[in-house]
Parts: sequence; structure tokens; C-alpha cells
Amino acid sequence: MSIPGPERPVVLALGGVSKAFGAVQALRDVSFDCRAGEVHALVGENGSGKSTLLGIASGFLAPDGGAVEIGGHRRRRGSPAEARRFGLGIAYQAYSHVLDLSVGENLYLAVPQEEQPRFGRMEEWASARLEEFKLELPVSARVRALSLVQRQLLEVVKALLAKPKVLLLDEPTTALGPKEVEQLHELVLQRSRAGVGIVYVSHRLPEVLGIADRVTVLRDGVGQGTFDAAGMSEESLVALMIGRPLQHAFPERNGGARPSDVLLAVSGLRGERFGPIDLVVKKGEILGLAGAEGNGQVQFLRALAGVERPTGTASCNGKELDNKSPLAALRAGVVLLSGDRTGESLFPVLSVRANTTVQVLRRLAPWGFLRRGRERRTVTEMVRRLRIRMASVEQPVQSLSGGNQQKVSLTRPFLRGDVRVILAEEPTQGVDVGARFDIYEALRAKADEGVAIIVKSSDPLELAGLCDRVVVMSRGTIVDEIQGADLGERRIVEAIVGGRVMQGTA
Amino acid sequence: MSISRAWLPLALMTTLIVALGAYAAMRQDAFLTTYNLGNLLLSTMPLALVAIGQTNALLVGGFDVSVAALMTMCVVVASFTLQPDKSWDVLLVGALAVVGVGLATGVFNATLIRVLKLPSIIATLGTLSILEGAALLLRDHPEGFINPNAIEALNAGVSFVPYAFIGVVVLAVLADIWLYRTRTGLALRAVGLDDSSSRRLGMATGRTVFLAFVICSLMAAVAGFYSAAQVQIGSPIIGNYALESIAAAVLGGASLAGGKGSFVGTLLAALFLTEISNVLPLFQQPTEYAQMTIGVLILLALVLYQAPELLARLRTSWGGVGRLRTRQGEAAG
Repeated sequence: MSIPGPERPVVLALGGVSKAFGAVQALRDVSFDCRAGEVHALVGENGSGKSTLLGIASGFLAPDGGAVEIGGHRRRRGSPAEARRFGLGIAYQAYSHVLDLSVGENLYLAVPQEEQPRFGRMEEWASARLEEFKLELPVSARVRALSLVQRQLLEVVKALLAKPKVLLLDEPTTALGPKEVEQLHELVLQRSRAGVGIVYVSHRLPEVLGIADRVTVLRDGVGQGTFDAAGMSEESLVALMIGRPLQHAFPERNGGARPSDVLLAVSGLRGERFGPIDLVVKKGEILGLAGAEGNGQVQFLRALAGVERPTGTASCNGKELDNKSPLAALRAGVVLLSGDRTGESLFPVLSVRANTTVQVLRRLAPWGFLRRGRERRTVTEMVRRLRIRMASVEQPVQSLSGGNQQKVSLTRPFLRGDVRVILAEEPTQGVDVGARFDIYEALRAKADEGVAIIVKSSDPLELAGLCDRVVVMSRGTIVDEIQGADLGERRIVEAIVGGRVMQGTA
Repeated sequence: MSISRAWLPLALMTTLIVALGAYAAMRQDAFLTTYNLGNLLLSTMPLALVAIGQTNALLVGGFDVSVAALMTMCVVVASFTLQPDKSWDVLLVGALAVVGVGLATGVFNATLIRVLKLPSIIATLGTLSILEGAALLLRDHPEGFINPNAIEALNAGVSFVPYAFIGVVVLAVLADIWLYRTRTGLALRAVGLDDSSSRRLGMATGRTVFLAFVICSLMAAVAGFYSAAQVQIGSPIIGNYALESIAAAVLGGASLAGGKGSFVGTLLAALFLTEISNVLPLFQQPTEYAQMTIGVLILLALVLYQAPELLARLRTSWGGVGRLRTRQGEAAG
């Protein structure tokens, strides 16, 4: 890949763009350009302003100041329709599908009116388009019936249909496996060779370095510079993104210093899609739960937390664990940090304050009336301790970035004095690099207080760095256990792959 | 939505109309007379027209509860502008005035909803109050006859079928073809189903919602003419068309969440609801029963139309507390 020279026309230019949401300055005087035929990656933590930048480029958001030019046309009224007319295509992170319409109808709506075929020929036309992009989907199926992978690929195809001069891809690979990522990259590179400028936004730095010609880094809404991808490494990018080097990514283990009392003991636990499982977790231990997706890890955790009904026994601190309901499990000291944060853990429209204190209101409200001062002090202390970044404690949780949302749900086990076991399901999914460390540190701090922690994660690197011991699940049972000097990313991946092979041959 | 499910409301309404008609015809000779049938079709007109308008509002995910007050206002205005002993040109101008009231109300509602971003139910509730008060201000008791020639023209027909009814059937069929077989119809449904995705796709969602509410009010104004032809006097008290129009649209297959509905279904439901009130007096039953029947029917229809979803929900809640959602898509946000 050669870096396109200045002779290539600029297809997207943002000059000195700023945007504030209330008190939060999301973008401050950011300039960005993309030339025809190049892949220009945009990286930064969650909340660094990437989505705002894309929103402004695509006409969805109006900037407070600065200029936008697409394909040589200056932004005037600024609407998605105008941006599309100027030659901008965008694949949204949250997709732009109308779920109750068919694949064909969604494709039809994605092209400008002049290029739409007659309505009666829609399905025929849609099949031809899908074939053109080598995507095998049933044209008449509703999008709601598609898998996430299919929805993601469909979103990219929709963005390409209008033959854009510049294509914006916002986290296009979150739902994709390695094979589909390759398929997508092939498609992207083919377009870029055809002269389309590609703006590629992704969390996955290896992917970014693999495909991009240039990289622009954003931090806290401020541009940190634009670089040739060839001269960058993951470490140097992360350093620019978070302003501190990568090697501190995990907190220290105080290995061996803890007493070896058994806190959680599970024997013969069975439920839908898992079991029988025998497992022991000690006080102060962080246990990793690895495995390919869908091998019962999630169900196992949820059964322990009383969300699903298992058979078999589990004991906590020597007493039988009552996990007949989430409330019973909570009373027994078992806290689940759900992977579906806004759906299950948090009240998205309520404030940081309300979400933080919801489980300990009794303590803050003697005689039934909430002591605002006491509540505020409690919340402020937690915000400081977990380094939650927000405009105010009254801000709705849904407006925080993923990492800060996770921190808010983490305040609860900190505030409850009676927590014995924390079950964390994908604690850093959708969380940016900087906030990840804070979350690891918080979990380690709880472990050091004597809490037993089980972390279910699909990131082997995370498990290797954070956990004291890792068990690998396959087809609902534990097939491998890794600890001590063996504990490394490579060993975990091998165990998962081995489990998969067994599954295939059975 | 599978094909069969989209047709379910239409099939159900047709069956009910025929079944009720057959029962009435067997028991009461008075039902199957050209006089009664003509009367039934004519009295269907106001509800049919206003419900077709209401279907537009429901398709974009809103409500218009001001339609009944607007119809009343139109009747009252007509009692001033369509007076007896006026020439046809004067009547034409008078009719335009009534349509003008509908257009102005529509633009007012649409502005509140789309420009000021008020929830449609609140915005139209405000309009309802204003129009009701204004109508009472103009006519505090029924007064002022409507031009009999105009009434005759509105009620004219071939044999016992009013031209107007033929017109509304053609309108509903054309509107359904537009809704399900054209680009703009698809765009309207897309906006109703998912406003923010539609905006991302570059559709003019604001204009679509605006037009839907203007059309809703215009249809209510036209319905006002047929109300005027029925009461024949400037009455400030006209029936409960706001709820009935929503009832007809929902029985005809419209979803309160937007994006789903059928104009033909709405028309059939309006015919069925009017048939109930037509049949009950023949059996010397009080009309209160009609109202209760309508309420029960709406609930039954909603349950029936959503049976698959309801069954799925029941099954999961029986299966355990908060079973992990199988559709991970919803959880990923």
C-alpha cells in the first residue's frame, strides 16, 4: 500500500470543527481529511469524540464551529440527505436498519431516489446487489431475523450502494469473527483501490494497523496528530490515546499473600446449556472463565446469581448458597455485573447518583427520608475512587461512555459491605483502554479485601493479565485449568481452540 | 410480518361484517332493506373518513385526539357558510372555508408535533380543547340549518349505494396500494417503524410526519361534511369520533407503535362498528351495548393480532425468571 500523495483529491475535509453537548466539550478545533483511494483510520478511547466527528461529517449533527467539505462541496444545510448527495456513505455503529422491513426494502431505502429501480423490481434488484457484494442473505427476510454478523455486513453494503466518494465505517467489525473481518477488509480495500476514500474507526488496533494508510488519534475531543500507519505500533498508538504507556495495563497480583480459604464451592451444578460443574474459588482470588462464545459460561454465571435456575449445590462461605432468585443471591453476597449493562445493570435514564446508591438507600435514608448530603458525599467519594468521568453526578447514565457506565455499576459492590462474590460478565466490553485499567484495578482492590471474583471474558489477553487462575469451558463443562507460570494468552487460546476441536469431533 | 398476518385484520373484519349482517337479516326483516342498507353506508361515512385520516397519524407513530373536536368545528362553521337559500358559488366558497379550517388545524397540530417536538397526544389534546371552546363560542346550542341542496348532493348515490361510499372504497384501496406498493409508501412505513434509522438513511422524516398530521386533519374536515349532512344543523355536540377513529384503525390492523396499518382494514372496521350501532336498535337493544361491545372487540382484536408475540412472552416468563435474551442484538447496545 502506497501512501497517496497530494495529487489525490481530498474527498472529505473537516476544518477546525468544534462541538459541545451541554457542559461537555466533545470536539475542540479538530481538523481531519481523507483523500481518494486511502484508508484513513480514526482511533481514540470511548468518549474521545470519534462518533461526534463522524456524526458531523455525515450531517447527522451540526457543528458549533468549523467547516465540512465532502467531494469538493461545502456543507450548507447539513443533513444526512445532503451529505449522501455530495457522495458520503456511512455504516453506523448502531446500524441504520429498519428491523421490521425486509432486507430488500432496507437496501432499497438506502439508495438515492434517482437510483432506485421500479418498486415492483425491488427484490430482483436487491438480489443482484447482494450478489455484487458477495453477501448471501434472503432478500425477503426481515432484518430482525438476521444474525448480528449479517446485520453488520448488510450495513456496510448499504453504505456502499450509493457509490460514495468517501465511506465512513464506524466500528464495522464489533460483531464479526476473524473470517468475516477478512471478508470485510477485502471489500474495503477493493473499494479504496477503486478510488474511494475510506474513514475507518475501530477499537481493534491490530486491525487498524493492518488496513490503514494513515491514522489520526483523538483524545478528549482534541486531535493528537495524523501519522503514517507504517510508522506506528500498537504501543505508540495506545500511548497517544491514553497518554500513558501500555505496560501498566494490568494491576499487580499480590500472589500467595492471600489466605487460601475456600469461599465459593460449586459441586455438580447443572442448568440449561451447562453442567455438571465442580469448582472452587478462594478468598481474594480472581478466577477467569474462558471459552468460545456459547459454551455455557454466561448461563453458569447467571445460575450462580439466581437469574437462571440450576440444579446441584453451591455453597458460599461454608453455607449453602441460596440462589433461587437474584435477590436471594444478592442477600447471600453474590453480585452479578451483567454484560448487558444498560439493559440489566443500570437504569439508563437515571442519574449517576441514583444508579450508584440504589442498593444502599436504606443506609442513606434513616426514617425513610433520603439525606441528600450523606448521599452526595457517598457518590462523590465513589466517583473519585473509581475515576468516573462525567459532567455532573446528575447526568443520566445513558449519556456516559461504556467504560464510565461499567464503573457506575462497579460502585455497587463497593458500597455494599456484605459482598462475598463478584461475577463479572465481559467487564470491559465496549470499554476504552484507559477505563479498562481502572476497572481491573477496582476488581483487584475488591479481591484484596477478600472477595472472590469470577470474570467471564472473551479476551484471552485480559484473562491472562488480570486473573490468578483461568478455567476453560467447552460444551458446558470445564475442560481445562490454567494457573501459575502457564497462565498466558497463547496457552488460553490453545485451550479454547482445543475445546473447539473436541466439540467438532464429538 | 408474514403475508397471512398482514391480511388477518381484513379477513377478521370482513367475517364479522358478514356474520353480523347475516344474523340480523335472519332475525329482522328491516335489516336487509335498501333503505336500511343505504342508511348504514351513509352513516359509515363520517367514521370511515376520519378513521382513514387517523390511520395516517398512527402510521407515523402518533395519535390525533383532536379530530372529533375538529369535525364539530367544521359542522358549526358549515352552519354559517352553507346556509339554506344560497347559490352554488356561495356554497363552494363556504365549503372551501370548512376545508380551510381543517387545513389550518392540521398545520397547527403538525407544527406543535414536529417543530416544537411535543408528544402528539398532548399536542392534539390542547387543540381539542381550543376547538371545543371555539365551537361552543360560535353555537352554544344547536342552531343554523345546513343547506338542503348540499345535503342532498352529499347523500346522492346509485340505487342504495351513495357515491361517497364508492369514493371512499376507491380511496382506501388506492391508499393501500400506495402504502405497500410504492417507494413513498415504503418510506412512510419506514419512518413509522424507526424514525432514527430513517433519518440516518437520509429520508425526510420531518416532512413525512408533518404531512401525515395535515392529511389526518383534512380527512376529519371532509368527515365533518358528512356529519353535517347527518345532523343537518350547527350542533356543538358531535359523537365520540376521536376514540372511535383510533378503534377503527386498530381493529383494521394499525399498530400503536407506528409503521403498520391498512386503509382498507380501517374502512372495513369503520363499517363494522357502524353496523353494530345500526343493528342493535332493530333488536330494541340500547346503544350502550354497542359501546361496550366495541371496547371488548378492540381488546380481543389486539390480543389476536399479537398472539404470536404474546405466546412467546408467556412461554419465556413461565420458563424461569428473566431468561437470558436469546436475541443478543438487543443486548449489545
